[in-house]
Amino acid sequence: MSLPSVPETKFSVLREGIPREGVVQIDPPLCGETNMAIDEALIRDATPESPVVLRVYRWEQPTLSLGYFQSWDDCRAVPGLSDLPWVRRKTGGGAIVHDQEITYSILIPETRNKTSKGHSGLLYRAIHGSAVENLQRLGWDAKLSETCTCSTAINQKEEPFLCFSRRSPVDLIIGSDKIMGSAQRRTSAGLLQHGSLLIRHSPTTPELVGLSELTTQLPSKLQEGFRADSFSNYNKDIWEKGLHDAFVDRACEKVIAKAPVDQTAWVNFLILVLKKGLSQIVNCRWQERNLDEHSVFTGRR
Amino acid sequence: MSILPEELRYLESHEWVSVSNETPGIATVGISAFAVAELTDLVFMALPKVGQSVSSGHEFGEVESVKAVSPMYSPVSGTVVEIHSELVNNLESLSVDPYDGGWIMKVQMSDPSELARLLDWTAYKHQCDNA
Repeated sequence: MSLPSVPETKFSVLREGIPREGVVQIDPPLCGETNMAIDEALIRDATPESPVVLRVYRWEQPTLSLGYFQSWDDCRAVPGLSDLPWVRRKTGGGAIVHDQEITYSILIPETRNKTSKGHSGLLYRAIHGSAVENLQRLGWDAKLSETCTCSTAINQKEEPFLCFSRRSPVDLIIGSDKIMGSAQRRTSAGLLQHGSLLIRHSPTTPELVGLSELTTQLPSKLQEGFRADSFSNYNKDIWEKGLHDAFVDRACEKVIAKAPVDQTAWVNFLILVLKKGLSQIVNCRWQERNLDEHSVFTGRR
Repeated sequence: MSILPEELRYLESHEWVSVSNETPGIATVGISAFAVAELTDLVFMALPKVGQSVSSGHEFGEVESVKAVSPMYSPVSGTVVEIHSELVNNLESLSVDPYDGGWIMKVQMSDPSELARLLDWTAYKHQCDNA
């Protein structure tokens, strides 16, 4: 298996025929308020000249993020959640416990077309399709959910409180377990997409499993790698060493060479997923109807 | 009252406005059938408050669909005099009746001349056809 290219801090995106700068921003684990403030600032300050931003980050302590319209009172129905520090996202969807997962945000600045409303199915599908494709390369039987628990306002109380207990057609699942979900916020300045990749289960949400618990279908070498996984043993030095090429390269190798022993490898894996997803959007000329012919992931349209 | 889409004015961002002859200073505002179709499954809507000031082209509320939160923009400036509070518990009705039964708010206009700057049906339909 050949190694994917090493993530770069800057990349190029062609949009509406114009080369646009893209920026990868990798932040150290921060508190919830700071993480949300950074994302809010990204979309608040976006202009048509702003770069596309891929931000990947973690949280300095387990934190609950609520979807924009969710009530904090509803978290009392799920044991253990009300004790967590919490924040409210600008994006919709269900609540997420940010513990054994990696969070991303993508900013797509608005261009001259300001007439869009609602979600961008293209962005959901391209990013999650890229994750499906790359997890399949590593051995997981990943696919898009193509099922939905979404409901109308009249019975929205019946929707599970947690994002990872819900299903929408573009959610990434392995077996029956949701591993990646995303949500969006549209403003006149642009589109912000949040997403979360579950690496392993959190003690706060024992009913949910992550990639680490779904290794039985993988080759034994990769399973051994997960048993040695130090994902929860965060080492601040990782970030302070900087993401110079050699370090990033080794981190990618750890995933691709089936020995995923640290979280930085997964951070860089996610960056690759995001960049490849954006490349698909560029290849299909930002038109969802063109996605099929350029997409290599399996997913019913 | 029966609202026909051909008789409305529109923002590029898909909000419609209607002014009846009986109450010429009051604008009724909603979102178009095209917007409802783009949004697909609506799950939440945040309405303005009665008495709140709104400005033409500026946000007056928010709506969530498919985990995406989007703003709604007011086509006119003025003061909100009535809101359709029942709508938030019956958002699926927008997919069958985004006009008459799907109105969102009524605004006492401060500058009715703003209506002339909005798209008419022909221009709005052209925009949607080319989206």
